[in-house]
Amino acid sequence: MDIIKFEFLKLLKKSRGWLGPILVFTLIMIAYPLTVELTDIELGQSFFSILWIAALLVMMLATEDIFLEDFNDGSLEQYAISQNNLSFVVGSKIFIYWLVIGLPISALGSIFCVGIINQPNFGFQIFPVLLISTYIFMNVFSFGNALSLTKGSILGTLVTLPLLLPLLIILGKVVIAINFDLNYSGFLFLLLGILSIIIVIIPMITSYIIRAHLE
Amino acid sequence: MFQVNRAYPYIFYLSLAIYLFSVFWGLFLTPEDFVQGNSYRIIYLHVPASFISQSLYLAMAIASAVYLIWKVKLSVYLVRSIAPIGAMTTFIALISGSIWGIPTWGTWWVWDARIVSTLILFIMYLGLISLHDSFNNNEKADKFLSILVLVGSVNIPIIKMSVEWWSTLHQPASVTISEKPAIDLVMLYPLFGSIIGFTGLVTCLVILSSKLQILKREKNKSWVNDYV
Repeated sequence: MDIIKFEFLKLLKKSRGWLGPILVFTLIMIAYPLTVELTDIELGQSFFSILWIAALLVMMLATEDIFLEDFNDGSLEQYAISQNNLSFVVGSKIFIYWLVIGLPISALGSIFCVGIINQPNFGFQIFPVLLISTYIFMNVFSFGNALSLTKGSILGTLVTLPLLLPLLIILGKVVIAINFDLNYSGFLFLLLGILSIIIVIIPMITSYIIRAHLE
Repeated sequence: MFQVNRAYPYIFYLSLAIYLFSVFWGLFLTPEDFVQGNSYRIIYLHVPASFISQSLYLAMAIASAVYLIWKVKLSVYLVRSIAPIGAMTTFIALISGSIWGIPTWGTWWVWDARIVSTLILFIMYLGLISLHDSFNNNEKADKFLSILVLVGSVNIPIIKMSVEWWSTLHQPASVTISEKPAIDLVMLYPLFGSIIGFTGLVTCLVILSSKLQILKREKNKSWVNDYV
């Protein structure tokens, strides 16, 4: 519990780390209507594609230095040799990042959804999907960033982004289901299933990678 | 390595003969397809290439697991040497599919589950190569490469099942283990021949590439000086 609290405070102090991604997301969502001929129908058509890609890119940006600073100042090494379980530390780090960045982005995404498509129920329906998908994105990008810890985040993203593309196909299906007012809970459970596997496996693999970096 | 050297020419010439014979059989001795006309004959390149592109990834995943569990260095050399060949076969599968798409679907490319997932496989092969090459420390690079290959193997069942899970333009498999083939036997025999021949040729490439990899990585050992 102490670790979670400590990581939370550390991230809050580093405002560039959490405020930056949220602002970038907001700017993308504000800027994209300017590029579209301003009619509601055309805006609505491309909204969800922009939303998923923006969420994906912002999560990529948010996890850029999730382990780097701790690696450079030696805290990760301390965690690795201390009594703490390193995969628990990694898991709580990812959770805190999601709580501070993913959660506001999901809320903002839903608000923009209501604002741009003009249908309040769309906003409520898309919120849980955004919550789950941002957490999955964050986990996978953390894994990528751990892989390329000392080599810059571009490489990590390059190697992990392909793993997320099948997820984007599922998100596309969710949007179709919402648009046609179909029951989309099946997709929600599928996403939850993916998340429940990822949430266990990614911290374990990532801690193994970090140990390899520290060797 | 010495035993492989001895067997290599036999494997190469036999596979080349089988492949050329099957392609000749497929191109000139089988009848035209009722629906697709002559364009279907690209399957003698497209099907072996797509089959091999996925099988190579599977081979890489098995070799990576062997490396991570038993620390067998040769297996990670194999992973690294398969990656560019996998990228090449995936590229052949994509291009040949694209060429076939023009007369059959009327388009070079569709954003379809099977095709996009194959493109993802291609990008993954390139990502693996660039990840491995970005580290100076070979041991670290080997470890990360094998982890990424194992994690990336979740994509293989997605590619395989994409034609059944999503509604797609790409046809489902015509030949499966459990069911009667949907393709006529006249076309099936040369197809099998071409798959066997192509697999043999790619195996030869893998042998050559892994030989090179071993020599490169073990260049400071005395046996390499004796060998070269």
